[in-house]
Amino acid sequence: MDVPSIIQSIQDSAPAQWMRTSVKAMPFVESLHVLAAATLFGTIFIVDLRLLGFPDTRRSFTAISREMLRLTWAAFFVAVIAGALMFAANAHTYVGNTAFRLKMLALVAAGVNMTIFQGITIRTVSAWDRDARPPLAGRVAGVLSILLWISVIFFARWIGFTKGYDFSIPQDSHINFQF
Amino acid sequence: MHAFAGWLQETPFSHTIQDVSWIIPLLQSIHIVMIGVVFVSSLMIALRVLGKMRADEPFPAVWQRFAPWMWTGLCVMACTGLILVAGEPIREFTALSFWIKMALVLLGVTGTALYGRALRNFIGAGPAQFPATAKLASVLIVVLWLAIIFLGRAIAYDREVWGALSLHA
Repeated sequence: MDVPSIIQSIQDSAPAQWMRTSVKAMPFVESLHVLAAATLFGTIFIVDLRLLGFPDTRRSFTAISREMLRLTWAAFFVAVIAGALMFAANAHTYVGNTAFRLKMLALVAAGVNMTIFQGITIRTVSAWDRDARPPLAGRVAGVLSILLWISVIFFARWIGFTKGYDFSIPQDSHINFQF
Repeated sequence: MHAFAGWLQETPFSHTIQDVSWIIPLLQSIHIVMIGVVFVSSLMIALRVLGKMRADEPFPAVWQRFAPWMWTGLCVMACTGLILVAGEPIREFTALSFWIKMALVLLGVTGTALYGRALRNFIGAGPAQFPATAKLASVLIVVLWLAIIFLGRAIAYDREVWGALSLHA
């Protein structure tokens, strides 16, 4: 099975058709995606700021990181599900969209940054857990994480202005507003 | 209101926002980043009152950690929001979601200010020490922000969300 046919089968799937035909699906799923993305960014931002050594210096890095972990992953999970539905509805358009590609690139880069931090930098955490100023590698990971996640949000919003299709109902149409 | 929206949309300031293609997406992106800061700050404060987060820290310390970020974020959102309205006044003023959102924002900001004034000096170590009204208020404020976030996105889909109630109809 080649890539175009995979994309086609995603776009033909039942959830994708529901997204295209249900009048209320798109606004609800999009809202959920924004809410999840905001929560994801907000919780990661708290951990990143601690890596930069402010404003939570009295609390250890591991305490903050552990507290945020579940919320961050829960938000990520919801964002992925909602995002996948939005993608499926117009898979072909998304795949060819530059803003979407840049978003995915930033997302992967944020993942690589996190993996390097969790794989290498965190090994020495016992030495700097309570320091107001974590080591350079930690601070760099914090700055990169903030910048990459902000980029993800910016590219994501850009998709809506470059996607080249319009889901809204024509002004003069009369349709049934049920799910 | 329609006349005002029409006038505003024809001002040079509004024309600039409409004509420069990157201004609106940029403002909306900043707006969303700030939703993250404000919503999660508010959520952290609420979870502390409920005893689910940072229960080992005194409440005033948690309030001092998150409240300045929350207020700063709200100010930034007021600015980006105002410019977005100036750029697309007809789109905003003719959306039912916009008016409900504005009413709830007013309620959310006033509520948070009163809540902060009542609780910020509250010294209590455990969850049991907060009165039930404080816990209820915490939950209500978080629910209010959720509704506001939803309505913000719903402005783009007024007829889809509200059907016959939409001001677009």
